[in-house]
Amino acid sequence: MSSPQAALGTLAPARAPSRWRSLVTQESVATLAASLVVAAAVLLPLATLIVSSFLVMDRSGFDAHWGLDNYRALVFDRIIPKAFVNTLVISTGATVLATVLGVSLAWINARTNCPWREGLEPFNLIPFFLSPFVGAIAWHNLAAPKTGLLNAWARDYLGVQGHLLNVDNIYGVIWVTGIFFTPLVYLFVVGSLRRMDPALEDSARTTGAGLLRTTLTVTLPLVLPGILSGAIIVFVTSAGEFGVPFKLGAPYGWETLTTQIFSKAVGDDANHYLGATMAMALGAITAVFVWIQQRVIAPRAFTTVTGKGFRPNVVDLGGWKWVALGYNLVFILVAVVLPILCLFVVSLHPVWEGGIIPRDMSFRNYQKVLFFWSPDSIQAATNGIFNSFILAFAGASIAMVLSLVVSYMIHRTKGFGSRLLDFLCVVPIGFPGIVLAMGVLVVYIKTPIYATLWILLLGYITRFFPYGQRNVSAVMLAISEELDQSSRMAGASWLTTLRRITIPLLKPGIFAGWLLLFIIFLRELSISIILYTTGTETLSVGVYYLVNFENEPLTAALSIAQTVVLLACVVLFRRIAGREALTA
Amino acid sequence: MTVVNAAGTVAAAGAAPYLEVRGLVKTFGADRAVDDISFTVPKGKFLTLLGPSGCGKTTTLMSIAGLHRLDAGDIRVGGTVFTSVADGLFLPPEKRDIGMVFQSYAIWPHMTVAENVAYPLAIRKLDRAEIDARVDEVLRLVGLAAMAGKLATQLSGGQQQRAALARAIVFRPRLLLFDEPLSNLDLKLREQMRVELKRIQREVGITSVYVTHDQAEALVMSDEIIVMSKGRIEQRGGPHDIYARPLNRYVSNFIGVANLLEGRVARVTAPGRGELEIRAGGERIQLPCRLGEGVAEGAAAVLSVRPENVQAAREHRSGPRLEGEVIETIFLGNCVDCRVRWGGFEWKVLAHPRAALRPGERVYLHLDPEHSLAVQP
Repeated sequence: MSSPQAALGTLAPARAPSRWRSLVTQESVATLAASLVVAAAVLLPLATLIVSSFLVMDRSGFDAHWGLDNYRALVFDRIIPKAFVNTLVISTGATVLATVLGVSLAWINARTNCPWREGLEPFNLIPFFLSPFVGAIAWHNLAAPKTGLLNAWARDYLGVQGHLLNVDNIYGVIWVTGIFFTPLVYLFVVGSLRRMDPALEDSARTTGAGLLRTTLTVTLPLVLPGILSGAIIVFVTSAGEFGVPFKLGAPYGWETLTTQIFSKAVGDDANHYLGATMAMALGAITAVFVWIQQRVIAPRAFTTVTGKGFRPNVVDLGGWKWVALGYNLVFILVAVVLPILCLFVVSLHPVWEGGIIPRDMSFRNYQKVLFFWSPDSIQAATNGIFNSFILAFAGASIAMVLSLVVSYMIHRTKGFGSRLLDFLCVVPIGFPGIVLAMGVLVVYIKTPIYATLWILLLGYITRFFPYGQRNVSAVMLAISEELDQSSRMAGASWLTTLRRITIPLLKPGIFAGWLLLFIIFLRELSISIILYTTGTETLSVGVYYLVNFENEPLTAALSIAQTVVLLACVVLFRRIAGREALTA
Repeated sequence: MTVVNAAGTVAAAGAAPYLEVRGLVKTFGADRAVDDISFTVPKGKFLTLLGPSGCGKTTTLMSIAGLHRLDAGDIRVGGTVFTSVADGLFLPPEKRDIGMVFQSYAIWPHMTVAENVAYPLAIRKLDRAEIDARVDEVLRLVGLAAMAGKLATQLSGGQQQRAALARAIVFRPRLLLFDEPLSNLDLKLREQMRVELKRIQREVGITSVYVTHDQAEALVMSDEIIVMSKGRIEQRGGPHDIYARPLNRYVSNFIGVANLLEGRVARVTAPGRGELEIRAGGERIQLPCRLGEGVAEGAAAVLSVRPENVQAAREHRSGPRLEGEVIETIFLGNCVDCRVRWGGFEWKVLAHPRAALRPGERVYLHLDPEHSLAVQP
């Protein structure tokens, strides 16, 4: 058939594809889909939180009307204002403690001739991977006034009357939160200390400045953005921490915002709207701090890295190096060794009253919390193990696929979409898990995904995919865009390039990110505690259940099981990602 | 000899255009990185886009490659439309059949040299034997035959450079693009690779566009040079033309070294000849010189004289001359770089070492009217 139209078509092939068709490419479809998913997942819960904070629950608990009563409650309620103050005190205290410990340990490890520092580093980082909730349980068993092991020893061997230590109060919360978040500061600081060009300090020394003066005028200012970043992250993470105050604070009259949000979400006096309002208040504080860290401090971080491998200046401590070693060992003792050992000892007893009774010891508790086939197994615990592995595996996998697409969009496609996405990836970091979970709960409570693992999966991925995305982005920034472009020039399509060039090059970053998320999901508590129902318990919820309804030894047994799995992941992580992976 | 005007619409004499670039505009926000650029390249020729960073040369190259979307303009190669904003056409980069050598070489670190070079052929689904034969051939051409099994990370900078070139030419592309490929090499290697790149390009005969900020590189390698500034073409021509007859102050200053003095054309004596009045400090003189394109009687102009075209002597000879004082001499081995103050201006002069000029001496500078050029300011 030769119509005039066909003849025209062959004459002017340039007219055939229209403008919009050239915009529909593999690349633009994939990236548009990803940005819509991210925008919906991140913004919907937060928007709903804001709206529902203006809804006031009736006395009957069935109906609601618009009003500001919830905000009034923040100020005039019997408990909430105190919880607010407690949260600020705990966060401030934990930040000071973690910063002092983190900076000093980082300096000892990166810049002194402290013996065995290479070997100490992995142990300094272990608390980063473990559950602070489990840390609180362990410290309760170590230093509760009556049943604490350390107090029992103090009574037996030192002749102390009553108790020596007491962590069942706000100071205990600060102590445990502080030591468990020390690695956050450590990681922010050790990287810049280790990769600092020694010429920066040497040139100060050659102008006549002494060691102290050089440290104060050159080294410290260069590391300061790292210290501030670490401190802010600790502050924000502490404010959003649920497990530690739940174990050591709330039962003894020290409520925090997170324990209050929890009780409004699932407690006897459930009031989602009031819970949403408190979540708003907490989220507003943390978001401001994270905004300051991301937009004001992080960009000021001086580029001390020039791509060359540096051997940073090492300070000879002389005899003091043994003091430094002792200091570091004490940290590892109180943050890692004592808690784990104590939990293990407790877990072997049928009941725990503060004393070790060798003839009572057995592994029966492990049978109850681990072996789902055993007749006396506790379902909340055994369910938790199953569910957590499913969630961790699926969540990490989905989140990394999302991370890959999102990182690609941010770094490889320019324009408005990429900047919006970059912003959206910071937002979840600004809100504690419990806040985001509150939003997710309110959005999805009337949908079919409520009371399934899907809602937990959604909460996990939304809150934590930025961590995976950061891992991928770091590697993506390190590999030149020209590596992708040259594949396109060689004739490969966008998808082929992604499959054969980009992903193989990103593999280490993707796997490190996957494993980090896997670890985070395995110990996740503050999202799970809001979103779980019977049957969808997670590992940490299992621990929570045992804390609430069973005894300390059973709790300790499940805690030890979780800790062992996490430690195994950490070993794997270090083997694959290398020791610099976290310090980026 | 063809000197083409700034719009660059006239192709070099006697050759049909192969690569055609018309009315290119690319903006980044409010910034016009490329502002209405047009040029053509005949088949088999080597064109260099030369300019400082930010002049739009790399953006132009990326647009030809299809790695940037244009705001306006057309790009065609051998009659195929690559991009036409007016017609809403955009050929994705992988369909353009262009070989490209990147600044970072972009050798994929997870593949061997042979795998890197074979990649474009595998994408084109050639059979194994054909791929092996062509990879072998091209690695031999660039002198990397012994390195085929090495990982990219085991190569030196120069070797990565060769591997990148091999990968770019192995599929016999229609066009070869270079994005400052030599800027990461050290000086010795750079000088060697200039000659080698040019040899290989001539051997395979692929039409090439080369981007650089290094004027020496441009002079050595190119059939034609386009000097760019702020997203526009300043001048286009052969290496010799651009050096000997810069169109304006910018080009004269960018290519090589020149003494540049502002003045006014006092009179035109013959077509292309005239006298330029220059002043500096208290001094003032009328010098006979050649008039560049667009320089008219009474108009402001800039005198451009290369240091090697100024003769400094203790005695004065007939003809136009300036009297000044030697203020600095730098011995460079084969010549002496002198600074001579005349009025408020310091002349750069290349003198023979035998002249043995010393600072403080009075000397006469003799300017050859043939090599003194009045150019647009």
